[in-house]
Amino acid sequence: MRKTFLSATAAFMLVPLYVLTVNAFKGQQEILRDPFGLGGLTLEPLGRALTNPQFDVVKGYAVTLLFVVAVNVLSVLLAAPAAYTIARSPKRRFRVLMLFFLAGTFIPGQVLVIPVVYVLKTLGLMGTIRGFVLFETTLTLPFSIFLYAGYIATIPAVLDQAAAVDGAGRLRTFWQIVFPLMRPAVATMVILNTFSVWNDFVNPQIILGPGSGLYTVTTGVYAAVSQYSTDYTVVFPTLLLAIAPLLVFFVFMQRHIISGLTAGATKG
Amino acid sequence: MAGRTVMTLTREAPVATVREAPPRRRRHDGLTTALMAGPATVLYVVMLVVPVGLAFYLSLTDWDGFSADPAFVGAANYARLLDDPELRRAALVTLLVAAAGTAGLNLLGLGFALLVDGVSRANTFFRIVLFYPHVLSALVVGFLWSAILGTNGAVNNLVTTWGGEVLPFLSDPAWATVTMIAVLVWAGFGVNVVLYLAGLQAVPHSLIEAARIDGATRWQVFRNVTLPALGPSVTINIVLSLVTLLKTYDLVVSLTAGGPAGQTQTVAYLILWNSFHDARLGFGSAQSVILMLVTAALAFVVTRLRRRGEMAVHQ
Repeated sequence: MRKTFLSATAAFMLVPLYVLTVNAFKGQQEILRDPFGLGGLTLEPLGRALTNPQFDVVKGYAVTLLFVVAVNVLSVLLAAPAAYTIARSPKRRFRVLMLFFLAGTFIPGQVLVIPVVYVLKTLGLMGTIRGFVLFETTLTLPFSIFLYAGYIATIPAVLDQAAAVDGAGRLRTFWQIVFPLMRPAVATMVILNTFSVWNDFVNPQIILGPGSGLYTVTTGVYAAVSQYSTDYTVVFPTLLLAIAPLLVFFVFMQRHIISGLTAGATKG
Repeated sequence: MAGRTVMTLTREAPVATVREAPPRRRRHDGLTTALMAGPATVLYVVMLVVPVGLAFYLSLTDWDGFSADPAFVGAANYARLLDDPELRRAALVTLLVAAAGTAGLNLLGLGFALLVDGVSRANTFFRIVLFYPHVLSALVVGFLWSAILGTNGAVNNLVTTWGGEVLPFLSDPAWATVTMIAVLVWAGFGVNVVLYLAGLQAVPHSLIEAARIDGATRWQVFRNVTLPALGPSVTINIVLSLVTLLKTYDLVVSLTAGGPAGQTQTVAYLILWNSFHDARLGFGSAQSVILMLVTAALAFVVTRLRRRGEMAVHQ
């Protein structure tokens, strides 16, 4: 009975995905006539979605990937050494610094976006890729530093001392000895940041703005679909193209992704 | 300039730390520390700490998003909040979504966690299937469900083919609110399943077996052993669900666009609408300050209540 119930639930969870996939390969008539059937499949709507003038999907992938890579690299470069300083120092002011960063995990993004527009305008970064990447990176810092500092605390400090005796400075000790050992924590954060950048809607929509012509996959879906939400030959293929890379990534890395995203959910 | 500092420091640091006398070394150490923790701290202050302060300041102004120095209007924005019927309705919708959604996420989360507990291939498969919607953006989830539940959507097609009436999933205010909560729960409870599974691993097996041997029914074991041991897990899950649901935005945009007739607008939706559609960012700031304070207060109250409950259990 448990198995039957779970199977029924699994079917209910997967039906939307099935409807999405099947109807991405149908014409409007066929979708309206039989949304669940497999008749009249064609590649034509998918081809049109790929060449949609409203939203260039391939460019959207490229832009999003650029953001994902930039935010991840910058986030690691900034958060990892900061976390190292905090984790390895017995001084009180570094514990205060940790709490200072930790407080940031409790600030919801919606509260920030309005004043961040003000800050970006003042700095002349509004509507620029730099401004967007810097803000998106900032959002990753509090939780990254928290996670990294916790992880570094489990790496024996004897390693650092050995490196220092051998004549390595602190920077070198960190990047060559400690950082390579942090791989699991970094992997968790990279997964988490990749999904939050890929799926973010509000920040790219407002900071980059429609005027910039720069669409991520998510803001591009909005541009392509929101006006034409009853034209299913636009909706289904566009949505399929937007989620396919994520789903493939998820299927191959599910265990890491589930633990990474769950860790992220607890950051509040 | 920053780049050059990095270069010289990395080159000199090893030499300095080995050879130089203590005073020089200490100064150098301070520099290295500044170099390692400084950039993150500066960015964090400029892009997060300053904006939080600015949110309070801007909420006392009439900023329209363009002018360089907005006029100070005192508490006018807050006064306007009190008798704004649109906001009152949005607050009601948001609280309803948060309350019903939290209940749904946690009942399903805990229920399914109990069902898929234990190591087996089938359980792994079910966990993945329950979790996968969380991978998708809320925007995509909303568009997808609106294509399925809309007036011409897949489900209504099926219903009318069978001779039924069109079901107003998204076109009737009450239905649309329920639909929105259902979709939020559908998309989110997989996370709660995983969190509760983690909690279940901490429940001592010996206790459960002892209760079983003493003749307790499955329900009694759950009620008197498993659930009390899950206490902290329940608290975390409830607070997380509440905090997440109180800022529901993306799904509103894509599933209902706030409609019909603005009846499913949430507070977050209204904040961004007022700010960026109506160019009233000062007013929007006042709303977001209130939302932040209410969220913090609710999270605090729930944590306190739950802690008291947990203490009572342990006594």
